[in-house]
Amino acid sequence: MINFLIILFIISLIYLAKVEMVKSYFTLMAFQGILLFGLAYFELKEIDLLHLLFILLETLVFKTLFVPLFLHRITRNRIHRHHNGPIKGYYSVLITAVIVIGCFMISYVIHDELTVNADHQVKYFTAAISSIMVGLFIAINNRDLVTHLIGYLVIENGIFLLSLALGSEMPMFVNSAILLDIFTSVLIMGIFFNKMKDYFQNVDASHLSQLKD
Amino acid sequence: MIYSFFIFTAALAVLVYFIRNKTISHSLVFGYVIVMIGLGLYLIPLLGQTLNEYFFSDRLGIIFYVVLILVSLFSAIHYVKFVNDRNVKEADVALHNAGTIFFTGAIIGILFTSHFGILWAFMEATTLGASVLIYHNRNQDALEATWKYLYVCSIGIAIAFAGVLFLGFAAQQIGHIDFTFSAIKANASTLNTVWLKACFLLIVTGFSVKMGLVPLFNVDIDAKDASPSQVGASLSSVLMNAGFVAIYRFYEAFSTTSILPWMNKLLMLTGLLSLFFAAVYVLRVKNVKRMFAYSSMEHASLVIIAFSCGGLGYFAAVLHLIMHSLVKSSLFFQVSQMHRIFSSKLDENIGSYLRVNPLGGLVMLLGFLSIIAMPPSGMLISELYMFQALIAKDYWWVALIVLMLVLIIIYGLAVKMLGIIFLKKNSSNINLQGATPYESALQLALIVIVFYIGLFRPQIIVESIQLAIQSLPA
Repeated sequence: MINFLIILFIISLIYLAKVEMVKSYFTLMAFQGILLFGLAYFELKEIDLLHLLFILLETLVFKTLFVPLFLHRITRNRIHRHHNGPIKGYYSVLITAVIVIGCFMISYVIHDELTVNADHQVKYFTAAISSIMVGLFIAINNRDLVTHLIGYLVIENGIFLLSLALGSEMPMFVNSAILLDIFTSVLIMGIFFNKMKDYFQNVDASHLSQLKD
Repeated sequence: MIYSFFIFTAALAVLVYFIRNKTISHSLVFGYVIVMIGLGLYLIPLLGQTLNEYFFSDRLGIIFYVVLILVSLFSAIHYVKFVNDRNVKEADVALHNAGTIFFTGAIIGILFTSHFGILWAFMEATTLGASVLIYHNRNQDALEATWKYLYVCSIGIAIAFAGVLFLGFAAQQIGHIDFTFSAIKANASTLNTVWLKACFLLIVTGFSVKMGLVPLFNVDIDAKDASPSQVGASLSSVLMNAGFVAIYRFYEAFSTTSILPWMNKLLMLTGLLSLFFAAVYVLRVKNVKRMFAYSSMEHASLVIIAFSCGGLGYFAAVLHLIMHSLVKSSLFFQVSQMHRIFSSKLDENIGSYLRVNPLGGLVMLLGFLSIIAMPPSGMLISELYMFQALIAKDYWWVALIVLMLVLIIIYGLAVKMLGIIFLKKNSSNINLQGATPYESALQLALIVIVFYIGLFRPQIIVESIQLAIQSLPA
């Protein structure tokens, strides 16, 4: 089951590169949220109730419901298609596929460095690194700010997968900080996003060039 | 006690946010500085001891804590003047003061935590606090700078967290997951070096945005430009120190392993690249605040290069950071005053500053001499130590490159600064009411401290730094 979910997650990453309608991004983010909850549920079977509730909050409530709905709300009726970056359409799918294959190779090399439960951890590792790299690619390749936010969320999903590989070893305080991090970042960025629309009429990042030497 | 302090900080920040009376709001910030002094007095007798599971009274932390108290106090004083002068709205003052308390509390957390996870969490908190401070002016520039800062910092912090997780992978393999500095250091030699290298690389990359180094330095420069000067002062001093402390903690924990030479090379490369970019940009910059921001980047580079040499370099790095914090804060505060007088940040509109505002001009002149490490500035001593450390390690070529880049930066700064201070330009709209002697006197006091350190090298500072870095390899 874990294998199936991880493969679905990686497919969702490749699909992200092809998306043209902004609304599809939000659906994909919600889908990734569900996948992450499934992974966390199967991975952390033996954790205590508090941790489980926490992960439920982080994945289902937050990643699946709150963030996509919030982003949908702030972009409602204004932005439908995102501005393409320099690399368009199928080329970006190709590049994403290359990134994912590259991450498979890295994980293959890294496999020997993992001694505890290596076969298991390496799967998470592959998906996590792919997610971080694809997130960076999305952020760099696209010009509009909504897509930048999506890139950030994809990176955060990668970090979540990486922490799953480690199990529930981090103190609760750090877990809370991660949740707070995503929560406030999205919230604050959302608020600023609205303000930017007032100033710059639309949300193309190329308008953000006032500050220079 | 330390937990109570953080709860108090959070509660005070919330309280200040709801207070709409400017006088009470400012008073509460000053009150917080007094509480900070109280915490310092509590921590100093406990030096070197752990306070609880997640915090300790660390010597390096205390050194930068004293700097933090000084800069916070001076920032608070300058902010009162800033608010009166610009007639800032009550709600904006409330948000700024709440943000200041939150930001300062987060930096205190970074200085005294003994746990890598908590260190990361406090670092994240500084991003949120700083974003509120940068957005103070509510204009297009502030909005752009805040968005960029928040976005790039969030990515940087996420990358750093991946670094902490890699450390987790390494620790898990020996069945020992305790993320405190002492536990990691004690077991470091048994940890897999591949994971440690990956961890350190990601940490330096992620926290580079806080220290103002390559690769994520751009947003830091924009933030210092678009925010009020006292915020620029905090970002250039206390936040840079916090970034250094964060990198230092990882470095110290891994310093007993075989990756020490690799870490040194990475830091040196980061420092050299940062110095190169600072030199390129400082030549073409026209905005005084951006010029000082690039100068901060230069000094961060020098600190990290000195640190990468080890031995005397460790001492030079910490000493340099202390003095840079004081001088750069003073210069940023003075830029605020200059902006009030000339209504411009561009060097082409500002001239004969020494004649227009003699005391302010003196601050600019002495501050300029300090940042280019001219005697009697204490920064000359730390830069000399840095070159001594480079030569002791036989890094002649590095010393030569650093020297050349520093000379380029000195030239770039001198052309603009001497023009501002002495040259007569077509400055219109000169408003001398903006020149307040008491502000300049305070700024002068900070520079005098640096001169004092340079001339007399007080034993207490020398010994404190030596004790703080004694756990590093010789």
